[in-house]
Amino acid sequence: MGEELQMLNKFFKIFLFTISLVYFSSAIKAEDTIKIAIIEPMSGPLASVGLDLIEGLEFYAERINKAGGVLGGKHIEIVPYDNAMVAEKTIQQLRKVIDEDIRYVTQGVGSNHALNIIKTLGKHNKRNPGKEVIFLNHSAVTTSFTNELCNFYHFRFDANVDMKVAALVSQMTKDPSIKKVYLLNQNYAYGQSFQAAARRLLAERAPQIEIVGDELIVPFGKILDFNPYVSKITSSGADTILTGNWGPDAARLITATANSQLKVKFYTIYAGIPAAMNSMGVKISTFNPIVQVTEAHENDPSHPDWLKEIDKEYMAFSNKSPYADRQRFMIEMFAAAVEKAGTADPTAVAWAMEGMTARGAHGDVYMRPDDHQMHFDMVLSHISTDVEKTFIYNNEDYGMAYVTDGWVDMADITLPTTCKMKRPKK
Amino acid sequence: MDVILFTLFNGLLYGMLLFMLSSGLTLIFGMMGVLNFAHASFFMLGAYFAYQISKYIGFIPALFIAPLIIAFCGAMVEKYALRRVHKFGHVAELLFTFGLFYIIEELVQMIWGKVPVGYHVPEYMDFTLFSMSGMGYQAYAMFTLVVSIAMFIVLFSVLTKTRAGLIIQAALTHPEIVSSLGHNVPKVFMLVFGLGCALAGLAGVLAGNTLGTEPSMALSLGPIVFVVIVVGGLGSLKGALVASILIGIVQTTAISLDYSINNFIELIGFSVDIESLWRILIDLTISQIAPILPYLLLVLMLIFRPRGLFGNRDV
Repeated sequence: MGEELQMLNKFFKIFLFTISLVYFSSAIKAEDTIKIAIIEPMSGPLASVGLDLIEGLEFYAERINKAGGVLGGKHIEIVPYDNAMVAEKTIQQLRKVIDEDIRYVTQGVGSNHALNIIKTLGKHNKRNPGKEVIFLNHSAVTTSFTNELCNFYHFRFDANVDMKVAALVSQMTKDPSIKKVYLLNQNYAYGQSFQAAARRLLAERAPQIEIVGDELIVPFGKILDFNPYVSKITSSGADTILTGNWGPDAARLITATANSQLKVKFYTIYAGIPAAMNSMGVKISTFNPIVQVTEAHENDPSHPDWLKEIDKEYMAFSNKSPYADRQRFMIEMFAAAVEKAGTADPTAVAWAMEGMTARGAHGDVYMRPDDHQMHFDMVLSHISTDVEKTFIYNNEDYGMAYVTDGWVDMADITLPTTCKMKRPKK
Repeated sequence: MDVILFTLFNGLLYGMLLFMLSSGLTLIFGMMGVLNFAHASFFMLGAYFAYQISKYIGFIPALFIAPLIIAFCGAMVEKYALRRVHKFGHVAELLFTFGLFYIIEELVQMIWGKVPVGYHVPEYMDFTLFSMSGMGYQAYAMFTLVVSIAMFIVLFSVLTKTRAGLIIQAALTHPEIVSSLGHNVPKVFMLVFGLGCALAGLAGVLAGNTLGTEPSMALSLGPIVFVVIVVGGLGSLKGALVASILIGIVQTTAISLDYSINNFIELIGFSVDIESLWRILIDLTISQIAPILPYLLLVLMLIFRPRGLFGNRDV
């Protein structure tokens, strides 16, 4: 009996020893990675959006790592955190990120969460010099983040609302059949900023287009029946609807319009995203032209060959068609900035990233130093079945994709900024 | 005239959709006194089952099969779970259905994924039947209207004219006496719960393809259903119908009214020049608050007439 106990004791000691060996070896490996925390919804109604974005980021980081990493072999590691779309949780997770000494955080789904991150990091960075954290904003498009709320440690990689509306309006001026436009938006910060930008830019760039309606609706799927709105749009005589709607608010509006046989053009940002396309189906998605503005798309005639290669790899990795090219150039620019700075220290990397360019689908993308807003040419496209590469999602073929209507030059969507950035002493 | 016609017809269309959603719940709420928090979940399951079945067999079979499956699921939930929780009181039953809501939501995400599925209107019903006031009306929408009216007529006649219906109505208010008369009251409860869930499932089959079928649909549709049954009166089918159509007409009308308090002030000759929170309030148009009006109606009803329009039980 005593002998067995001794054997057990010995086994236990060996076991403990092995565990600690494994732990410490992985701890040593960990210091060779540069961590980027990503805080997105991984549960709840928007989980699919968050999880897809995390997956995309992991793919583009892996590409850099496979090509040798940065700073002589260091790998970029993506560390996901779930905020379940709850604002307080975003702050909680951010505190965890800071506690775990991660110096880069990215987020984009939900501008209110981005605002929380900007405010929290603003305070943290001020009070902890030498321990700054950079916010790489991949999709939170509220314009004020690069205007009055601009910050040296915030970089935005997606075009903001004003820029996207500018692109839409510029494209609208190229179509002489557009004479009367109806504005319909969600009644919260994002929708209101879309509305304000639309009014301002239509007046500036398309004074010949008449605004025949301006509606704010209760957001987030609360409205089941859009027929009364369709009725109003019909009686206004509008030929185009300019809307920032996303999710069920967009899908239901488009569906009600198609079912009522109302012929209008839709100029949107998020109404034609792949998930919406699938939900509406082919007939509704192609009854009226649904135009959206993105940084690239697979069926564009000028889509570069090198990007087509990367798209193929993305498809093999995730079983999904790539959608957000900005994730690629965000990671590529980040890696290049780290190399240029020669260190992973956030302040040095931030200095390096200002004014930097990276390769885009239609010429280089440019990080404007004044406000840390990325600038690039944008493509306007509409949903169609007449495409070579249809959207695939988890092996399900949607049968549709985008057809290019036109490109808008970076110069046309470069707007003045009110940012007065406070920079650290170099 | 055009506007009135549109308002009434569209109000009816939307109202019947609400009625379909809430008829099952008012039966269950009236009978067992428990808020079935998972009612909208059965609606969601109906939509998903219809999607799956119509992919293989077609829409019409799905219209019959999906509600039957949901009825079975509902009956099983009542027999093996809800019944046991019943003896612990109303709060326990509520918490149970609350948990059931989350379980169903997770199951749906595990089986069908987190993105919306492509559940669409069947092609042979996807055409314009007629036009009115410049707007086309889809054949499928008319089909849904007919089915929902038929649903009400069948339900109403069964409950008031048949023997089974009378037993159900009696068990609603006097379960002990009904039981002492030899009727199997637990079985009645199980059947009614199953029927209520089947109605929700049928609504899901009919509405899932136009409203969008995704895991969060139960969460977004839940609240309006409660408004309907409280305003109509708990347990009253007639009340649910009247409340649904009332809400449908009120909301349709409100959306066409782009007037705010500010407009009214200007109309009577004054002009207000304040720059503050009040400004936001008086600039608010009726059309902007239209979707909130049902909830306002709910609050008023609870204050002035808690039993609803046709109810027998106080909330």
